[in-house]
Amino acid sequence: MHLDLSELSQLAPIFRELFKGYHVSRRDPELYAQLSNFQDQYRTLFKALGFELVCDTRGFYYFVPDTATAQVNKTAQRLALFTFIIVEHLADQGRDPIAVLDGGSLGRDELPALLEKYRDLFVQAEVTTHEELEEKIMRRMTQLGFASEEPGIYRFLPPMHRFLDVCLSVQQDRDLAASLHSILPLPTPVLVDDDIDDEAALARAIADEQQEMDA
Amino acid sequence: MIEPKRVLRALAEHWALLEPLCEHFDQGTLSLNELRLQLAAHQVDSTPQDITSVLDSWIRLDILVPVAKSPNRFELNAQIHDFLAYLRHEHRLGLCLEIEAYLRHLERLAGYIQDAFDIRDGHDLARQLRLLDMRVRDVLKKLANDEQALVAVAERAKTSDRQIPLRQRYAEVLATWDEYVEPMIQLVNADGAFEQGVRKVEIVLLRMLSEQQRLGHLVDDDMLLRTHARILEMQTSAQMTLRHARELLLPLREEARRHNAVTRGAALALAAIRRKGLDAVPQASMPMFTRPQSTFLGSASQVEAYVYALARFEPKPAKFPKAHKVHRGETPKAPRTVKEMLERCSDALPMPDLMTWLLAQEPDGGTDELLYWFSRLSREKRFVRERLERRDYHTQEHLVSLRSFALLSHCEDATQTSASPLHAS
Repeated sequence: MHLDLSELSQLAPIFRELFKGYHVSRRDPELYAQLSNFQDQYRTLFKALGFELVCDTRGFYYFVPDTATAQVNKTAQRLALFTFIIVEHLADQGRDPIAVLDGGSLGRDELPALLEKYRDLFVQAEVTTHEELEEKIMRRMTQLGFASEEPGIYRFLPPMHRFLDVCLSVQQDRDLAASLHSILPLPTPVLVDDDIDDEAALARAIADEQQEMDA
Repeated sequence: MIEPKRVLRALAEHWALLEPLCEHFDQGTLSLNELRLQLAAHQVDSTPQDITSVLDSWIRLDILVPVAKSPNRFELNAQIHDFLAYLRHEHRLGLCLEIEAYLRHLERLAGYIQDAFDIRDGHDLARQLRLLDMRVRDVLKKLANDEQALVAVAERAKTSDRQIPLRQRYAEVLATWDEYVEPMIQLVNADGAFEQGVRKVEIVLLRMLSEQQRLGHLVDDDMLLRTHARILEMQTSAQMTLRHARELLLPLREEARRHNAVTRGAALALAAIRRKGLDAVPQASMPMFTRPQSTFLGSASQVEAYVYALARFEPKPAKFPKAHKVHRGETPKAPRTVKEMLERCSDALPMPDLMTWLLAQEPDGGTDELLYWFSRLSREKRFVRERLERRDYHTQEHLVSLRSFALLSHCEDATQTSASPLHAS
């Protein structure tokens, strides 16, 4: 493919943002228009540089890190947790979670009540105060292009679909559902009956001990 | 007979009053008082006498009829109501079963037509063909009505308040899908009642056309051809209605399903995190992105402090026990041998709960060690075990939930006549 760099007028800001982990959506009209007009050129160029540009049809662009080296980081876990909480919280209130997370907004004044209600879960993400919630979650969301801050509210942007997809894949994860429907708070101790290898090993060990004792 | 001109004139004359009333009658019946209030609201300058005379004329013309067993309540005459609904493009979705009933009737009519032709009864044949034609028109009318009603269902769902839960917002869509579209799909299927009925009628009509060539004309060929064309039109129309219904409602239904899936997924994920921590959510499904601070260098003083700390890095000293020093405090216990544990266990038989016994024996024991002994002792062949109900046990570090065993010796078991089954796993 022939690349005309003069066409890619927003290359530097686009690369800078994507490289930081930012998700470009319609909220950044100039960058978004450039990316959608020259999608193939940008993708080819970034691929040659070792970056994979993902063009999500729901209206956003982002770099996906190299899977060999990348690990799910704490931020991703925190933001996913926040998404789960928001979905459940809105559903509990009889509001439509998808309408809110797909272009809708959440009042800043709702955050303290949310923190209080889900304190046990936020603690796991090392979020215990309102300041930490703003700092570790809401600020990260805006930094990464998942939300934008407007007076008194946070508006959710199309990249939130990445977290809604997590909800969908969790829903389809039968193993996870099955493990939850059992009433075990901990994984079962090693007493599995169908594990033939373990069974055989234990039987051998018992037989050995028996011989030892008889002797 | 009701004079059509008078009815039509009354409808035309009072249309401004009737149209808003239609919406109320779509919801149910109205009492005489409510009717008077409604009319007064729409005709501010009218006197009570005027209103009474309007209502009187409607009742005389059978436009308004009293509700059965409630003479003070009124509703629109069903025929007029349908006509007004047609004029107002307000369509009520019919039942798929109605179409199926019509089709069954079409099949029967095809049989009668065949019979009439076989006995060469031209008069009956023409009558049955007319009936068939009218029935096909009924189906076409119904399909057109249903299609409009489906459009209205989709529009209502799309334009309703975004703040109410999706389940409520799309309740009508989901019900319509289950009660109309899904049975229609079955009906219009290649082996469904629709295709079968159409095929049967078509075969009869085509055979009759060729037989008429041979045996002479009982009815005009044009009539047969027209009916045949209408049958085919009906078939196409049903497929188009179904396709339209799917195009309209499927995306909404999928949206509702997706919404349910998202909500359920979030609840599942939260439940998993509550029990097993943040790592419980499958890593593969988590989005990955570069951390925003990965290219962040920090201020000059931070860099300086980092380099300073690196330059003065000292590993923590490792402390090893020394042979010449006497160990103070309690001497660590040697781990118990299998033989020792088996003997102690044998002495304690019959044992109502193995795990409780182990916890009493080894109050300071680690969870892994206790679970090892639980596994080892419960499998010992010299004991007979009986599975207990699941319950929680507190070890020194953990809360363990398991189904423990009651242990008995073989001889005790032989004498015991317990009804509970043994689980030898």
